[in-house]
Amino acid sequence: MTTKKNFLKGIIEENPLLVSILGTCPALATTKTIEAAIGMGLLFTIVLICSSVLVSLLRKLISEEIRTPAYILIIATFVTIVKMLTNAFIPDLYSTLGVFISLIVVNCIVLGRAEAYASKHGVFDSLIDALGMGLGYTLAIVGIAFFRELLGTGGLSIGKIFTFIPEAKLQIIPKGYEISVFQNPAGAFIVFAIILAVITFIKNRKEEYKKAQDKLKKAQAKAALSKEGEAK
Amino acid sequence: MDKKHYILTSLTLGLIGAASALLVGGANLLTSERIKENEVKKINDGIATIFGKESKVEKAESKEDAKLSKEYKYTNTIYTVVKNGEDSYSGYAIRTLGSNMYGKISLIIGYEESSKAFLGLTIVTNEQTYASTLVENYINPLNNDDIDVEDVKCGATYGAKLVRDMVLEAKEVALELWGK
Repeated sequence: MTTKKNFLKGIIEENPLLVSILGTCPALATTKTIEAAIGMGLLFTIVLICSSVLVSLLRKLISEEIRTPAYILIIATFVTIVKMLTNAFIPDLYSTLGVFISLIVVNCIVLGRAEAYASKHGVFDSLIDALGMGLGYTLAIVGIAFFRELLGTGGLSIGKIFTFIPEAKLQIIPKGYEISVFQNPAGAFIVFAIILAVITFIKNRKEEYKKAQDKLKKAQAKAALSKEGEAK
Repeated sequence: MDKKHYILTSLTLGLIGAASALLVGGANLLTSERIKENEVKKINDGIATIFGKESKVEKAESKEDAKLSKEYKYTNTIYTVVKNGEDSYSGYAIRTLGSNMYGKISLIIGYEESSKAFLGLTIVTNEQTYASTLVENYINPLNNDDIDVEDVKCGATYGAKLVRDMVLEAKEVALELWGK
């Protein structure tokens, strides 16, 4: 697999959230605002990259029997460090994400990539894989957050969590017309379901088109063969 | 499997554990001071949200006898709040820190002496999930003396129950201060 393909697979064809449906708990809980989703995606990607690289580095040292405890220990270490750094340097993000930073430890994407990819591949490939998966997850949750914030509050805002950015809000939907349910957990389920439905629809259409193309090709080849037979 | 394999396996896991401990210890050294500063800032911001920006803390008194219940542990800190330019204090802010097996939550409840009314509630630390309707369920009923303690309103999670009990605990402390 080329480096480009390895990187892109996590974003499109093997997107951990939208294709494999993994890591849905924080995806529903931390997508009230785009800023929170970016923060979650960033922390998740850092943990995923660090743990994948370390697991790949130690893959020949870690024997079969201690694989799971060793991976959990590695992931928990990075999550604890990331949690401390967030609490110290981006306290607003720490307050917003709350328990969901600690819950990265049990995020099945991180353990899954360590087990399925990093333990079998070199450091560079594991780094690219983790980067692609992290970016894919971040883009997916930011997508959900975009619709939730826009529909739930009527606009998009920045600078509330990342306080080093000047605070700004763009009101798109007039006040009074926002649909507050999108700010609630139910809204997260609705947005997630709609995005999944759209992706499945596109995927099914592609597959149907491919099947129809194959059928057409087979029919054409059959017709060509029968023509040849008639000519003989 | 031979003995050597077991020793090597244990040693590997032990080394990973030791390296993890060192890394976490290093991160703690780097961040602990800043986290403490942030915590103080959060408390001050919380008090300012409740009492107004011109308010300041004159005295902070921690209740050492942390109350232990069956499931939760509480610690209360009472801050005497005064407004700049005024001699008399304007009220108390009670910070209740509660923890259960899932993590810590700390909140501040403020009440005003002159009106003998609860002014507001802010969450300082949150390591759990709880009902998102917490504030509307608790701030308003606090003054009416009819805090709804039903699970259906406050949420039935451990976090929500902890917050509910912490609010009731802070209210108890406030009523003691009022001399009721």
